[in-house]
Amino acid sequence: MIPWMMVVGIRNRKHRVFRVWVPIFLLWLLLLPLVLVLLPLAFIALAVMRVNPFRAIRTGWQLLASLRGTHIEVQDENAFVLVHIY
Amino acid sequence: MNEDRRQILEMLSTGKITTDEAERLLAAMEKGPAASTAGEASDTGTKTPPKYLRVVVQDEQGKNGRGHTQVNVRVPMQLLRAGVKLAGLIPAPALAHANEAMHEQGIQLDLSQLKPENLEELVNQLSDLTVDVDDDHTKVRVFCE
Repeated sequence: MIPWMMVVGIRNRKHRVFRVWVPIFLLWLLLLPLVLVLLPLAFIALAVMRVNPFRAIRTGWQLLASLRGTHIEVQDENAFVLVHIY
Repeated sequence: MNEDRRQILEMLSTGKITTDEAERLLAAMEKGPAASTAGEASDTGTKTPPKYLRVVVQDEQGKNGRGHTQVNVRVPMQLLRAGVKLAGLIPAPALAHANEAMHEQGIQLDLSQLKPENLEELVNQLSDLTVDVDDDHTKVRVFCE
């Protein structure tokens, strides 16, 4: 299953932490028409490069799906950045 | 008295085993076959594959000698697997370029010889990977969990 939610946390100079929940599923919905339009072009490009387009799409999908659970947290005395993908 | 117990006592009487060994053997026998099979299963049982690759960096002394820096990254192992599968999609001419560049850097590795199953095995072996770097103020840990 592809990621559907992401949390982005940022701390400003006043040491206030802002956490924003980003509904990625809305992004997928917005990108879907674009993907459908670009899909034939991608097929042609992959065929020209002699790459199996179905295998490429499957791998891309797996890559997208495996993003779930990714957690990146960096902080120092001045900054704090958090990204968590659900 | 069953046959196993008799054998143990005979071995003890003939001096083939010590009293301690006999005692341990009898105790193991009393636990029964169920316990021994359970023990074998736990010994030889398959390890649960790790789900994440963790990179943790802790720097106690930040800029200007104050504060601290912390980095905590958790990457799903599935992402690594998908990544290596993606490497399998690299077209042959691009692989040739990459090989050439690596040869120039003195790395004798032919990427075209890498098969997806090899890469899968490589990722699986990462489960035993642990890197610990300890400095006076900095600690870096890379491990799987």
